[in-house]
Amino acid sequence: MKKKIDHNISNNNFEQCIKCTICTIYCPVAAVNPNYPGPKQAGPDGERLRLKKSDFYDDALKYCTNCKRCEVSCPSNVKIGDIIQSARIKHSKQKPKLRDILLANTDFVGSMNTVLAPVVNTVLGWDVTKLALDKTLQIDRHRTFPKYSFGTFEQWYKRQAQKQSEYKNQVSYFHGCYVNYNNPQLGKDLVKVFNSVGIGVQLLDKEKCCGVALISNGLINQARKQGNVNIASIRKSVIENKRPVVATSSTCTFTIRDEYPHLLGIDNSDVKEDVELATRYLYRLISQDKIKLNLAEKKIKVAYHIPCHMEKLGWSYYTIELLKLIPNIELIVLDDHCCGIAGTYGFKKENYETSQAIGEDLFKQIEESKVDYVVSDCETCKWQIEMSTTAKCEHPISILAQALR
Amino acid sequence: MKFDTAIIGGGLSGLICGIQLQKKGKKCAIVSTGQSALHFSSGAFDLLSYLPDGSEVENIQEGVKKLIEQNPNHPYAKLGEALPNLINSATQLFEELNISFVHGESNHYKITPLGEIKPTWASLDRLATIQEKQQFPWKKVALFNLDGYLDFYPKFIKQGLKDHQVEVNTFGFSLPELDRLRRNPTELRATNISNVLDKESILNKFIAILKSKISNEEVILLPAFLGLKNDNAFKTIEEQIGKPVKVIPTLPPSIIGIKLQQYLQEEFISLGGVYMLGDNVLEADLENNSVQRIYTYNHGDIPIQAKHFVLATGSYFSQGLIATQKEVIEPVFNLDVTFDSDRTKWYNKDVFETQPYLAFGVKTNKELQGLINNQPLNNLYIVGAVLESFNPIKEGSGGGVSILTALAVADKIAKN
Amino acid sequence: MKQNNSSHKSNDSYDVIIIGGGVTGAGTARDCARRGFKTLLLERQDIATGATGRNHGLLHSGARYAVNDSESAKECIVENFILRKIASHCVEETDGLFLSLPEDDLAFQKKFIEACQSAGIPAEEIDPKQALLMEPSANPNMIGAVKVPDGAVDPFRLTASNIMDAKENGATVLTYHEVVGLHREKNRIIGVKAYDHINKEEKSYYGSIVINAGGIWGQHISEYADLKIKMFPAKGSLLIFGHRVNNIVLNRCRKPSNADILVPGDTICLIGTTSDRVPYDQIDNMEVTPDEVDLLMREGEKLAPSLAHTRILRAYAGVRPLVASDDDPTGRNVSRGIVLLDHAVRDGLEGFITITGGKLMTYRLMAEWATDLVCKKLNQTKKCDTAEVPLPGSRHSKEELINSIHTGAKTIAQGAIYRHGEMASKIDTTEAVKSSLVCECEGVSVGEVEYAIEELDVNNLVDLRRRTRVGMGTCQGELCACRAAGIMEGKVKNCSTRAKEDLANFLNERWKGVYPTGWGESLRGSEYSAWVYEGVCGLTNKKD
Repeated sequence: MKKKIDHNISNNNFEQCIKCTICTIYCPVAAVNPNYPGPKQAGPDGERLRLKKSDFYDDALKYCTNCKRCEVSCPSNVKIGDIIQSARIKHSKQKPKLRDILLANTDFVGSMNTVLAPVVNTVLGWDVTKLALDKTLQIDRHRTFPKYSFGTFEQWYKRQAQKQSEYKNQVSYFHGCYVNYNNPQLGKDLVKVFNSVGIGVQLLDKEKCCGVALISNGLINQARKQGNVNIASIRKSVIENKRPVVATSSTCTFTIRDEYPHLLGIDNSDVKEDVELATRYLYRLISQDKIKLNLAEKKIKVAYHIPCHMEKLGWSYYTIELLKLIPNIELIVLDDHCCGIAGTYGFKKENYETSQAIGEDLFKQIEESKVDYVVSDCETCKWQIEMSTTAKCEHPISILAQALR
Repeated sequence: MKFDTAIIGGGLSGLICGIQLQKKGKKCAIVSTGQSALHFSSGAFDLLSYLPDGSEVENIQEGVKKLIEQNPNHPYAKLGEALPNLINSATQLFEELNISFVHGESNHYKITPLGEIKPTWASLDRLATIQEKQQFPWKKVALFNLDGYLDFYPKFIKQGLKDHQVEVNTFGFSLPELDRLRRNPTELRATNISNVLDKESILNKFIAILKSKISNEEVILLPAFLGLKNDNAFKTIEEQIGKPVKVIPTLPPSIIGIKLQQYLQEEFISLGGVYMLGDNVLEADLENNSVQRIYTYNHGDIPIQAKHFVLATGSYFSQGLIATQKEVIEPVFNLDVTFDSDRTKWYNKDVFETQPYLAFGVKTNKELQGLINNQPLNNLYIVGAVLESFNPIKEGSGGGVSILTALAVADKIAKN
Repeated sequence: MKQNNSSHKSNDSYDVIIIGGGVTGAGTARDCARRGFKTLLLERQDIATGATGRNHGLLHSGARYAVNDSESAKECIVENFILRKIASHCVEETDGLFLSLPEDDLAFQKKFIEACQSAGIPAEEIDPKQALLMEPSANPNMIGAVKVPDGAVDPFRLTASNIMDAKENGATVLTYHEVVGLHREKNRIIGVKAYDHINKEEKSYYGSIVINAGGIWGQHISEYADLKIKMFPAKGSLLIFGHRVNNIVLNRCRKPSNADILVPGDTICLIGTTSDRVPYDQIDNMEVTPDEVDLLMREGEKLAPSLAHTRILRAYAGVRPLVASDDDPTGRNVSRGIVLLDHAVRDGLEGFITITGGKLMTYRLMAEWATDLVCKKLNQTKKCDTAEVPLPGSRHSKEELINSIHTGAKTIAQGAIYRHGEMASKIDTTEAVKSSLVCECEGVSVGEVEYAIEELDVNNLVDLRRRTRVGMGTCQGELCACRAAGIMEGKVKNCSTRAKEDLANFLNERWKGVYPTGWGESLRGSEYSAWVYEGVCGLTNKKD
């Protein structure tokens, strides 16, 4: 007989808070930005006041990056991050600016930009462009934009689709915007790794951006619409076609599994457990001796950075164990720090200073570590690290792909 | 995921057990629901400060003997003859971990944020402590506090020390960089103050202020609002001023406690342990009176398998024990728990008197193994605050029970 | 305002001396002072520590009495509308619903509505679906609902405002002054003997009329004059929940019974109440029993099912001052109405009147009657204006104030305005230091605490709690008590030992209400509190 601890946000989850202040210690924003009330005040304390009267909502809640480190450190199982995000969704009267709409609509912007990628990438690299975007849209001029790919991952995949169907075992791949519009190579690496152990990779019927940026920018209806499309496709894959879904982005995975039910009210309980990170999926099979990765020696020194959402999922163990399978790899795990970019958050001029201040210690440790690569499962962490340090950042699946014989 | 030992609970007892086992070559995993109660610790561990009748304990081992006579179910009673060796192991472990503790065969005394003088066994040497109540080491001290910092009480401390013939000069101070923190009505906490003061340039400004105010005081007393990021902060002050600097704890969050937790966690990981934070153990598979594997929320269907398991889940605060309207339960394995079935007997009406509910906990046999319907589980050991039959607050035994039972269990597992 | 530290053993004489700082005494002091009488109010502890501070906080529409006691019902509805006007910052105009559940007789609802209407109480039948839209937490199984103009009132604010107005009109108010005897000359009461608990000395005060507004303790006070007023203490227990589950007062549409009112109030809601006769010598020993807790939870869940999964913060009990309407010693005939006793007429003792019975709602009317009697006796003809003139704090609407008062961060300023009305402008948060929060759960700043200490007769932490809500939130003093104690040490106690004793008392006062529901999160919080205060701080209850 075991006691179940309820992990859903019940209406009263905030009441489990016993005011121990531990969350405030680990909030990366409160540590650098005094305008942010801190997770305790913004979350469970504020919720009681907001229930008294909704005009007790504090606009300063917008400074929360939704990193969930408060939840990870909370000894009372309070879903502080969810409480804050839910309050923003419910009470915030701020209308999304044009900038927020552009930053959040990754499908639209991505599709446009991949068509003219070589031009777009050049122009976005110019200082004068960045200055113009800074002045007109308040996208901070220091920010480096990720490069767009000339052609999407989905376009590349179409040419592989036939071959993929020939494998005995199959998974569906939720590629996400980053792989599709910026870095199809990662998607190709995933296909390579899975193929190498006899698993074919399919795409979902219809995939839309997971919506994490739409949620944080207040475009909830659109996020919900896209979420419903994704869940319908996932359902078809998991239930009809008996194909589990894997992803490479820790943020997309977390959003689909947890933010959909908690913040968007989308019920995914019938498929949630069949959506996971590719590294976890592979780990399970390897630990059950069902597959074996054929890896050649790779004498490189890498530093693994745990993205915030990975920390929340609790799955860094799998990535680390997979990397350790590579013969002669030297692996260090960086201190647990948020990198500061928090998705579209760090692009915004008003948040740039906070973002960089949050990541400062991490950047210092990376520079001092003198590694060949930093490895991380999150694409925005990659952008932040590559912009703020001299290191190159790779996805663990790419490292594995490169190590395959 | 296969390990030698899986430890449920990543606080003081879980980490000490894990560190000791890793040192003995065992591969361990720790699963922890959030951060631990060390986060409000004062930085001093109590082994036995008071006997059940309230009298102060001086010589610790003698005190423990008397305690065991009065309470044969006490966790110390279960350690039996091994107790003196375990105390030695503990102090040895502190040395190996490079943590400087002041400790001895008798209790010494710590100064609390309210100016009380309390007996304790082992305290971090940065803390303001004294060996004997009748003889304070200083006659004149300088006590500083940040203006408007609400979690520290110079007036109370001044009075407390005055009662022991120590003259205290109190000083307030402020810095523009700290004023920036004041913009936030809720976050002027020790941790945020430390984030600012630890920076070299600002630390130097602080030191200049200290220099300008002190005269012939023998020692500088500061609230524990430094040193979170900068391990040398206090040393730097001492070097530049030429006087010793001692620290008095603040209301939570406690920087001393946080550093201790972080330090132990880093040690555990650097010894090869796996620390899984922010996860809950949901289920356990039992077979033949043994735990085979456990399932957690984050890991879902992928279980943690181990030859041995340690329950270090803490007390009510850490949810190692859950009190419902009718009973007290241990939520992971549903082990036998000692509690009173009449809820009105859980409490004493005076909040400062001995509260029976604090002594409820998981029953064990002499081997510190957990029981289900009085049957011991062969490979499940219980350590720390979740144990039955002791009141850590009234006795002053929290740190001692956590550390010594953790070391005892590590020994037992290593022998197996 | 700090306590008057004068060492006079006897004082100027007053027109009126009022014994009792509950809402009745405070309202009487206001009325008397406004009508020009030199007034003194003496309260043995702090204001609102009797039944005033231990009730539902319900701004009655009177509907509950409509069927059985139409007199009371009429009085209630009239006062209800008056209080909304004059005490707007103490009142929340929430409306109320009377729910009929499947086990209730729907025919009663019809009788109920008719009785309300004939007592002048607006009562409107609402379709259950509509009622659920109005109040989502209400029991969805309800078969009927009636809307009435119930509201919520904060009795601490109400009492404090009356006291403030009394002082503004020249009254002297002395808390922690316990009346221990009456001065009598032949057949006339000429004054009182009081013990000053702060300065630890006895003093005498003289006045033309002494008013006994001591609530349930009135019987004891009357004995000082060798009079007999038979009182029947009826204990009522209530539970406070951690957050505001409902926004509209929920009642059961049936004959008034136990635990059938769920009242929202500021950040919490509370369910009550029970009713049990207790012996007179137990009135200072109020403890909530496990059976009472179970009953309150059970009945509460029938009104709002989500209460079953809502954290209970604390339990408390109060004693109703029920007075015999005749000399029958068994107390079968208990008056539920206002009882005004002119002892000159009743007992041949001049200069002494008792005003008691009644309810929180009708305090102003009670004060008016008592003051009218004083006027008659002292040949004054000034008319009562307490029904027209707003109390301090209610002189401007909240909306006006939110735009004009900027004391610190927006949410904190709003909290202060809710608690103090326009008096919030007196809170000094010009320096950032002052806007730091002492109580994070309820949003009470250093500035507000200092204002309360300076202007609102705060002598200890429990008083502070009543004026500002420090310690009334989820943490029940875990973090804020120590912070407040630190501030008090500097401003009130001037002595660390006394400040620590005060802190220990405050924690014990909180514990009294927490342990009757000491399970779940409450027990976790209590353990954490014990670790911080005893473990880290070394606080004890030992007096040196």
